[in-house]
Amino acid sequence: MKTLAIRNLSKTYFDAYAGAHVNAVRDVSLEVPEGEFVSIVGPSGCGKTTILNMVAGFIPPSGGEILVDGRAVVGPGPDRGVVFQSFALFPWKTVLENVAFGPKMRGIAKPEREKIAREFLALAGLSHAAERYPNELSGGMQQRVGVARALANEPDVLLMDEPFASVDAQTRMTLQEELTRIWQERRPTVLFITHDVGEAVFLANRVVVLSKGKVLQELEVPIPRPRRWDALVENDEFKRLSGQVLNLVRSA
Amino acid sequence: MNPALRAWSLYARATKRWPAIAALVPFIPVVALWWIVAETQVFPRAFFPSPADVVRSFGDLVYKGILPEYLEDSVVRLAVGAAAGMAVGIPLGLLVGVSRRAQAALWPPLLFFQAIGDIAWLPILLIWFGFGLTTMTFVIVYTVLFPVVLNTVLGVRSVPIELHRAALSLGASRQRILWEVVLPGALPNVITGLRNGLGYGWRALIAAEMIVGTSGVGFLMFDARRAGSVVEIVLGMIVLGLLWYVVDAWVLAPIERATGQRWGLVTR
Repeated sequence: MKTLAIRNLSKTYFDAYAGAHVNAVRDVSLEVPEGEFVSIVGPSGCGKTTILNMVAGFIPPSGGEILVDGRAVVGPGPDRGVVFQSFALFPWKTVLENVAFGPKMRGIAKPEREKIAREFLALAGLSHAAERYPNELSGGMQQRVGVARALANEPDVLLMDEPFASVDAQTRMTLQEELTRIWQERRPTVLFITHDVGEAVFLANRVVVLSKGKVLQELEVPIPRPRRWDALVENDEFKRLSGQVLNLVRSA
Repeated sequence: MNPALRAWSLYARATKRWPAIAALVPFIPVVALWWIVAETQVFPRAFFPSPADVVRSFGDLVYKGILPEYLEDSVVRLAVGAAAGMAVGIPLGLLVGVSRRAQAALWPPLLFFQAIGDIAWLPILLIWFGFGLTTMTFVIVYTVLFPVVLNTVLGVRSVPIELHRAALSLGASRQRILWEVVLPGALPNVITGLRNGLGYGWRALIAAEMIVGTSGVGFLMFDARRAGSVVEIVLGMIVLGLLWYVVDAWVLAPIERATGQRWGLVTR
C-alpha cells in the first residue's frame, strides 16, 4: 500500500439545464499517507463523490493532479481498488469468481487466484458463500464481497464510495467494525467517502470535512483501536469529535 | 375429504411432478368446444373436421412419412437460419452497442432494413434466386437478424456503468471487459432477441414455404389447400403451435433459467 496525494484538484461541470458552469470541486489538496485511513465527510452535493471518481480515474479533473505512490493518475487502474455504494458485483460470476477477478486480469493461473480469493473471503467472513451468486446474498454480504474483491487485487490505495449507505443500520455497524478489523490486519491506505458523521469518525485516523467543493477542516481522530460501537458510544473523545464534525457539516 | 378437494390435491401433485400437464390442461376446454361444434355438424365435415379426424390424418401422414420429413425440413431450415442470424447478429449488436462510430454508421440502415419485412423481400428474391432454398434461407436469416441485433445493442447499453468501472479498476482491458462484462451483461437481452427472432423467423419460414417451398410444414398446408383437405391444414396449424411450445420449453426457457434468472437480472 502506498501514499495518495491530491494537489489543487478541481472539477468544473457545465450544467446544461442551468446553462452555467458549476464548480463541483475547488482547489482541494489532501494527503493520505501509506497505511492511513482518511474519511471525507460532507453533505450531498459537496463534491466528495466527484473527488473519489477523479481519484479512481473514472472522470478527468479540470485542474490539479492526483499522485499514487508518486505516479500521476490518468485513468482507472488496478493500483486503486474501488468499493462502490451499489456494490457493482458481477451478477454472472459466483462470489469466488468475483473476488478472483482482479488476479485473473493480472494473468494469475486459476488454482493460485482461487487460493487468493478464498483467503480474502475468509478475511471478510464469507468462506461459506464462495459458490453462490451475488443476487442470492443480502446487501451486507454483497458489500463484504465488494471489499474482499477490491482487497484481493492488492491495490496501493483503497477507495470507498459510501459503501455502507445502502445496508440497514444494524448491518452497517457490523460492517464498520469488520472494516476497522480488516484495516488493522492489512493496513491498507484508505480514502473513505461518507455523509455519515459517526461513520467517518469511527473508521478514520483523520476526517476531512468538505463543503461546497472545498476542504473546510481536517481533524485527527486519536481514538485507540480496536474500535467497537458498544464501547465508543460512551467514549467522550468520540462524542466530542463527532459533535465537532457534525457542527462543521451542518454549518456548511 | 371432499372429492373435489381430493381431485384438486391430486392435480396439484401431478403438475408439480410433471409440469407438462399444467401446460396441457388449458387446452381441454378448447378441444372440447371444437369437438362439440364438429359433432353438431353446424358446418359440413369437409370444412370443419373434428379432433378425431385430425388425429387420424396425423397418424396417416406420419405413417406415410410425409409429416416427419416435412417437419424435419422446416426445423432444419429454422435452425440453420437462426444459427446464421445469431452468428452475424450478436457480433454486430456488440459492435454497434460498444462503438459510437459503428452506431453512427450502422444504426440508421439497421432501422431502415428492419422495416422492410421478411415477406416484402420475397418478390425480388424470387427473381434473383428463384424458388428454392437460397430464397428461404435469406428470408429466415433476415428475419432472425434484426431482433437479435437490436436487442443485443439494448443489452450492451443496459450494463450499468458501475460494472465497467469496477472491471477497469480491477485491471481489465477493454477487450477483456467485452468478454467478461459486456457479453454476459447483454445476454438476457440477447436471449430475448433470439426468442423474438425465432418466433418471427418461424412465421416467415412457413410463409416462405407456402410461396416458394417444395417441402416443409408451410408447403404441406398450402398443398392441402390445393387438394381441398381442411383436415391437413388444421393439422399443420396444430403442428406449428406445438413445435413452438417445444422450442420454448426445451431450448429457450432452460437457457433463461441458467443465465438471467439465475443471476437475478430477470425476474422469474
